[in-house]
Amino acid sequence: MPDPDPLDALRDALGATPAPEARTPDCLDDDTVAALAAGTIDAAARVHALSHLATCPRCRHAVASVARALADPAVAREVAVAERGGRRLRYGVALSAAAGVLLLLVGPRLLDLGRPVHRAPPPTGAVPVPASPVGVVADADTLRWVAVPGADRYRVTLFDAPGAVLYETQLADTVAVLPDSLVLVPGRPYLWKVEARTGWDRWSPSELVEFSLAPLRGAPQ
Amino acid sequence: MDDWVAELRGGRPEAAWDLCLARYRRLIFSAIRHYAQDYDDVMDIFARVCEALRADDLRRLRCYVDQPDHRARFSTWLVTVVRHLTVDWFRHRDGRRRLSTVAARLPPLQRRIFEHVFLDRRSHVEAYELIRANGTSGLTFGEFLVELRATYAVVIDGRRGRVLRELAGPPPPLPPPEAADDGEPAERRELVQQLLGSLSAQDRVALELHIVEELPAEQIARVLGLPNAKAVYNRVHRALAVLRARLAQGGLQRHDV
Ligand SMILES: [Zn+2]
Repeated sequence: MPDPDPLDALRDALGATPAPEARTPDCLDDDTVAALAAGTIDAAARVHALSHLATCPRCRHAVASVARALADPAVAREVAVAERGGRRLRYGVALSAAAGVLLLLVGPRLLDLGRPVHRAPPPTGAVPVPASPVGVVADADTLRWVAVPGADRYRVTLFDAPGAVLYETQLADTVAVLPDSLVLVPGRPYLWKVEARTGWDRWSPSELVEFSLAPLRGAPQ
Repeated sequence: MDDWVAELRGGRPEAAWDLCLARYRRLIFSAIRHYAQDYDDVMDIFARVCEALRADDLRRLRCYVDQPDHRARFSTWLVTVVRHLTVDWFRHRDGRRRLSTVAARLPPLQRRIFEHVFLDRRSHVEAYELIRANGTSGLTFGEFLVELRATYAVVIDGRRGRVLRELAGPPPPLPPPEAADDGEPAERRELVQQLLGSLSAQDRVALELHIVEELPAEQIARVLGLPNAKAVYNRVHRALAVLRARLAQGGLQRHDV
């Protein structure tokens, strides 16, 4: 009898798990499912949520389903528009020439179905910008970034190269002091990002930036 | 604060609803259309979503707004709620009736598989047992899997394919080795389940999302909090290598007995 490939056995075993079942009391709420799918959940809540996902096909399926929906370009576009407070960008690009002329005559409001009737403009898509450390640096005991107007809180996350979260904190300041217990190894790459809370339900993430400590030369001092 | 939230907090649910709908109507439609492509389905589900969100003076929206802290943005929370309502709609009266028209085009055995797996949400093994217990006792699990795969292929390719995949979960794995009909696969499956249980939660979720849900690595990275797709591949490959090694060991031990 031929020995089956262990990977086939794995696929077989994974695929044989029951179809999504009824909700249990431990199942994740919609806020958590959404935050996992969108990647906006904080590290502590993620650890808790992943331990449930590891054993619950129902919630795993829901998270995967919402992640796929959020990655659908049509949905992503509408999420982005909603996040901007209903204002669409580049009116002319998506419109026919005739509609463009009409737009000039009547203004954007009549054509823009998603636009709310009256509201103050929200903070525009401003994102925090990591200032230091970036690239090869002599030391890195603090993380600094450029403030975002209107942001009342920041969430900073530091990863190692394989992607494990080494440190995460939330604060109102634009400087996070890394704890002494965190030892960074010279020459090894690290990644960090900062998210700014710019609305009651809204976090704007920075780019992920990489840095490393300059390798030590000779003996210390 | 958003205008509709201010209206809601001010105790004016009707005004809050009008503003909320004006702002999120297109998002709601896009989320429904992600799952349902048939025009009539989309319109009926939209009505159902509005009804559910408006119930009890916007109870769902109030609960969300009143939470002291939010893990998700409102727009992504809304997509999640619409997803659940859409899937529920297809599971119940009207949606179920629409889906049962899909079954009418299938040959008899596949129609029964469709009803068990897609409409009644039985696991594949349960569906097999039910079909065998009802007059098809000669059907082997291997033959059943062939029919099951054929059923998936036909219905997931159709107009309601996306939501059907939502209802039934992932399609069955690739054809198993010829030994599918003896006792071995069940044993091996149990061994694999044990080994999976020994992985860290993050590794296990990475594997399941990658292999069973077939979620793209970039999206898995977001779920797991990894910086990029490459980190996901590293993690999956490492976990697979560990499983392979342990599975090979376990297999050897079993044969030695
Ligand atoms: Zn669950």
